[in-house]
Amino acid sequence: MATESDSSQGAFSRWVDSAIESPEKVYRAMFYVVMLFFLFTTLFPFYWLLVLALTPNEAITSFGFPPVPNGFNPEAFVNVFTTVPFHVYMFNSFVLGIATTAVVLVLASLAGYVFGRLDFPGKGPLMLLILAVSYFPPAAFIIPLFRLFTGNISLLGVSSPNLFNTPFSMVLPFSALFMPLSIFILSTFYGQIPDGLEDAARIEGTTRLGALFRVIMPLSAPGVATAGVLTFISVYNEFFFSFLMTSGEANNWAPIVWGILSYQGQYTQLYNLMAAASIVGVLPVAILVVVAQEKIVSGLTAGALKE
Amino acid sequence: MATTDEGIRDSERSGAYVSAVRWMENLSDPQFAYLLLTPVLLLLGLIAFWPLLSTFRMSLFADNLVGSAALGEFVGLENYVALLTGERDALLVRPFLDPSTPFRSALTVTLIFTLFSVFFETVVGFAQALVLDQDFRGRRWVRVAIIIPWAVPIVIQGMIFFLLFQPNIGFLVDPLQNWGIFSATPLSNPVDSMIILIVADVWKTSAFMALIILAGLQSVDRSLYDVGRVAGASKYQQFKMITLPLVLPSVLVAMLFRTIGAMRIYGLIETVVGCNTVPSLSCLVVTTFRGSRMYGTSAAVAFITAGLIGLVVSVYIVKYADTETGA
Repeated sequence: MATESDSSQGAFSRWVDSAIESPEKVYRAMFYVVMLFFLFTTLFPFYWLLVLALTPNEAITSFGFPPVPNGFNPEAFVNVFTTVPFHVYMFNSFVLGIATTAVVLVLASLAGYVFGRLDFPGKGPLMLLILAVSYFPPAAFIIPLFRLFTGNISLLGVSSPNLFNTPFSMVLPFSALFMPLSIFILSTFYGQIPDGLEDAARIEGTTRLGALFRVIMPLSAPGVATAGVLTFISVYNEFFFSFLMTSGEANNWAPIVWGILSYQGQYTQLYNLMAAASIVGVLPVAILVVVAQEKIVSGLTAGALKE
Repeated sequence: MATTDEGIRDSERSGAYVSAVRWMENLSDPQFAYLLLTPVLLLLGLIAFWPLLSTFRMSLFADNLVGSAALGEFVGLENYVALLTGERDALLVRPFLDPSTPFRSALTVTLIFTLFSVFFETVVGFAQALVLDQDFRGRRWVRVAIIIPWAVPIVIQGMIFFLLFQPNIGFLVDPLQNWGIFSATPLSNPVDSMIILIVADVWKTSAFMALIILAGLQSVDRSLYDVGRVAGASKYQQFKMITLPLVLPSVLVAMLFRTIGAMRIYGLIETVVGCNTVPSLSCLVVTTFRGSRMYGTSAAVAFITAGLIGLVVSVYIVKYADTETGA
């Protein structure tokens, strides 16, 4: 005992001595401690989900620390889809995400071309006006939009179409809210394409729009991918309109928000399924982050810093 | 016959197409610019600008709780006055502004949440950025680990923290209660819930802070540190005299974006504790228009929220301009 503590003390004091000689070593040690701390805090909640998902529901009671699965029940990952149609909610989320991304990429490409490559009176104020949209809270849009999409607004005696419970009631607000960032990203990318390339395409006989979609857009592929990935993730993560624009049934185009909440609302004791559903729901974006990490980083920092 | 018919129709169609193209090619730059912007402006007009103006107009009308019409008579700014003086509180699920119960009234709840979450996100985000700024093996994967919470859907973020602090199952509730930090049911206690929401928000969005601050760090000219070292500055002094002033503008930008986000808080509350326990401004907008059909009041709350965010944005822009010119 005594020798052991002696030797460990010896090692420790030796380390302290060397550290006093070279402070670099202390910084390095501090750095690793901080890094491991952040790895732990960001990843631990996912581990907790896994613990809950693998523990059979009747074995879920107060866990000690550190929590470990109280049994092994991978069936939860099957029951997630049979208790509520979670796959339908996820499918709906994918459809909404892809549709919004397509709309945003086409419209933001047109606008990005205009702001990146053309000069015209009113350009600056117009860009500001478009960017200002993203400053407003969704709560400032919701009441009129809700009434519009539930057919309560009439113009010249014709009432608005009832879009509540259809993808349109979500794709339209998503597109409007997430478009400004994409316009911004695309206009910086499109603005960097040399004029000569566009002129060459035009001389070859392409139209202006043809030059945009066949020359400028393919050459700016990284920018287009960045805008697309960010838009898709934003839609997949969105809560406000996803929650308020459907009644919450899977066959009413309700997205993943409602899939998760339906466990909380109807099956209040099925904690293992809540955790399993959360894991399944996170997987698509987690994969996207691993694959498109550079795009996300460049898109977020460009969007924030250049304004 | 059929083939010639089709041939004629084809040439007609391409004729129309050709003339459309020719018309488009002959537009001047400004005309072409506005033509391309038309779809974007139409969409934003219908989904963003019209609802904003309409919300403002609604906020000037009284609530109509009995008839079929959504709005009562025109009352000017009465809704705003009633909200800010607390007269309207009795009709709302939770008061709008009641300084005696700061954790129960919408305006104070939103401000407390914003202040604390943005502060801790800045500190944590800065530390994460400093870690990611180092060179080490596996840096790419550490970056992935730090970004992933940012990409987690709000509803799943909420579910995670609901499951962490649910009394029957959470491993955190008992010890925190024994140490006297939390009550036995933290998810229905307003102060405990506020702390949980702030922790959840910091967990998810520090990564966004970190990435923007990291971009700022990496644009700092490395030779400045050599100068600092030659001048005998310690690591801490180098950080204080070189890093901090040069990174401050990007920190401010990151804080601006996070403040805008924090003031909109809704989904996280709805999933973790419910709008009754922690009523933010957005919560109040939704409960008053969906539950009580008080469109006038709800619109006024929504517009006050937007105005508050606008105010904060302009404060940041002034600060930002200061750091730019001061440097």
